[in-house]
Amino acid sequence: MKCSRLCLAVILLAVMWPGAVGAQQKPAPAAAPEDDPDRDPNRNQPDFTIVNLPTTLRVPRFKSAFRVTHRFGRPLGAGDFGDLASDFFGLDSGAQIGLEYRFGIIRGGQIGIHRTSNKTIEFFGQYSVLQEKNNGVIGLDAYFSIDGTNNFKDSYTPALGVVVSRELGGWGAIYAEPMWVNNSNPLPSELTDDNDTFILGLGARLRIRPTVYLVGEFIPRVGYEPGVNHGTFGIEKRAGGHVFQLNFSNGFGTTMGQLARGGTGSEDWYLGFNISRKFF
Amino acid sequence: MHLYRYLVGAALLALSVGSAACDESLTDITGPTPNLVPTFSSIQTEIFSNSDSSGRAACTQCHNAIGRLFNGLDLSPAVSYANLVGVASRGKVGAVRVIPGDPENSYLIHKLEGRPGIVGVRMPQIGPPYLTDGQILVIKRWIELGARND
Repeated sequence: MKCSRLCLAVILLAVMWPGAVGAQQKPAPAAAPEDDPDRDPNRNQPDFTIVNLPTTLRVPRFKSAFRVTHRFGRPLGAGDFGDLASDFFGLDSGAQIGLEYRFGIIRGGQIGIHRTSNKTIEFFGQYSVLQEKNNGVIGLDAYFSIDGTNNFKDSYTPALGVVVSRELGGWGAIYAEPMWVNNSNPLPSELTDDNDTFILGLGARLRIRPTVYLVGEFIPRVGYEPGVNHGTFGIEKRAGGHVFQLNFSNGFGTTMGQLARGGTGSEDWYLGFNISRKFF
Repeated sequence: MHLYRYLVGAALLALSVGSAACDESLTDITGPTPNLVPTFSSIQTEIFSNSDSSGRAACTQCHNAIGRLFNGLDLSPAVSYANLVGVASRGKVGAVRVIPGDPENSYLIHKLEGRPGIVGVRMPQIGPPYLTDGQILVIKRWIELGARND
């Protein structure tokens, strides 16, 4: 009886104050989704790297991206075409594999980690200082990285520089990336003339189809400069949040320290690929 | 938010400045002779005159005042520099033991590395153990820097 009275009181209350009850039943209006322009696709710069060098594409705050790199070890010029075909154009040989994850820690700022299968680990950070869409001239990022061999236990190689980009009105973008790479020489300084390398990364991404791009990089150097200047070119296809890239390089380097040490030889070119995925 | 950005920027700057002095230690590569540096006095002491912890024999065990009659080279401290730098090899015609500034063509390096074309055997004759790659790199650097009597 007591329960029936209580139920009746509740029903009456509901009938008398329908607005109040309705308001309680309706879910609270969700906060309007933040309109973050960094999440918009950029057809000039579809990825965070050209092939190895960084672009000025911003990672949205608290979003992330992943990349895997392969550089197959078989020189494409070794043997005749039959040999090359029998090795499936280098895919049968071992590869230097890189895994990378980057995260937007603040608006315009990103950090990341890249590990290659020769046990080199690189930590990097990038901050967007100027955006081309604001000034109409260039995009400019400050860039820092440090890599260490033997799982970041030996031979640390820090790099500091800037990434300058100029977008081409929907046709892609060109890049100039002066970087100072310290301790690029793996030998003690007592045994070397140069322990640093100043590199000027030059790169371009040209959009030849709505989602297909040609990419290329060339990295002239001064200071410690063994081997040959690193060069690479390739073709890539964007598919949603993925970018699939097939590339040809004269070395295996993917970290700044490895790029500063140059390619293996101007006669040796190697097949490789990058696959990246944006998580936003 | 602005404070956060400044903190991140300051952290990156501090990291870059702090890591700018990265370098490998010479002792990491000189192995059994941790005190070896690219000077002639150090090479004389650590390589020519003394054995090391790897068990490598001292060069002067054979290349001494008596052994020179058989080996043609005395590496005793008082005479070794004069016998090495700019001096023609007795074993191989046309070869020079140490060519200042040119380690790749210095016959001393050829003998220590056991390169093809040497006359006789790789040094030390009673090796292995031979000199490590790091020890040879130090000797090469001394030659590269002019093979001074320092």
